[in-house]
Amino acid sequence: MKKLITLGFGAAVVLLSSAPVAAQQTATANVTATASVNAKAKLDVIGAVAFGDADPDLTPIIAATALNISVKARTGANQAVTLTVQAGGDFTETGGGTIGISNLTWLVTGGGFVAGTAASASAVSVGSWTNSGNQSGTQTYRLANSWAYATGSYSVTLTYTLTAP
Amino acid sequence: MIRLTTPVLVLTFAVAFEVAAQESATATLTSTMPPIARLSLSANSLSFPDADPDLVPQVPSSGGPIAITARARAQRDAVVTLTVQAADDLRSGISVLPVSLITWTAAGPGFVNGTVSRSAAQLVGTWVGSGVRAGSQTFRFENRWTHPVGVYTVTLTYTLTAP
Repeated sequence: MKKLITLGFGAAVVLLSSAPVAAQQTATANVTATASVNAKAKLDVIGAVAFGDADPDLTPIIAATALNISVKARTGANQAVTLTVQAGGDFTETGGGTIGISNLTWLVTGGGFVAGTAASASAVSVGSWTNSGNQSGTQTYRLANSWAYATGSYSVTLTYTLTAP
Repeated sequence: MIRLTTPVLVLTFAVAFEVAAQESATATLTSTMPPIARLSLSANSLSFPDADPDLVPQVPSSGGPIAITARARAQRDAVVTLTVQAADDLRSGISVLPVSLITWTAAGPGFVNGTVSRSAAQLVGTWVGSGVRAGSQTFRFENRWTHPVGVYTVTLTYTLTAP
């Protein structure tokens, strides 16, 4: 009788242990990832604007070397990004002479950039885009040349503003 | 004579039976150890702070690496795997960024580098047989100027499998 009882126990153990071994076990865990993206604007205007002297009859419009403009902006979905320029006033020279700022115009290359005429009373659009992104283009200033200008070295300050709401 | 002989025969049989029982008895001891998987992470959240894309093109998570401990009891020579899968892309309102912008570098034996995916579970680590495996993941978020402004979230699910 002892022998029979022992064999019966052994058989029962084999049956019980075989079922769980085949079962695959898994453990899971969750992690929440959060990324913050804030509004940003970065503007690079590279180059210098200088108009050389020229005969108004031969060169009625004097072109400067093109400026390279790089616009980087992060804004909300479907939001507008704008780049404007505003003159500090008319061209002035030390002797008191002036040249009206409206004689300064520009041409552009690059998607979203627009040609225009400088103004001191209000900002004028240089470019506009929708959504975040990088934009690059050129802006070539042109000065209307005139026999009416008094001799001198004129200057004006232009302020660019990039806005990404 | 009859009364004296019978008890002697009975005694002889009894002794013989006891000797036979002691020689043939065996005992089989079996311990049942089914597969077990247990996973612990040092944090249940990742945070990527805002940064200038020109200065920080890959933003590391602010909490540092996530420490992972994977305990598994598996069948001999069975492959134990740890995977991670995103429930969705990164979302902030109507804005969506692909979750593949999140990548990780791994440290620890058996742990591997990878990129988060929403379409398929990505391998975090793999080992053979039972054991306790410790490692870490350092997450990074690819920072671009083209990202719309927002606070993006996604849930990552880790799965440790012990066959």
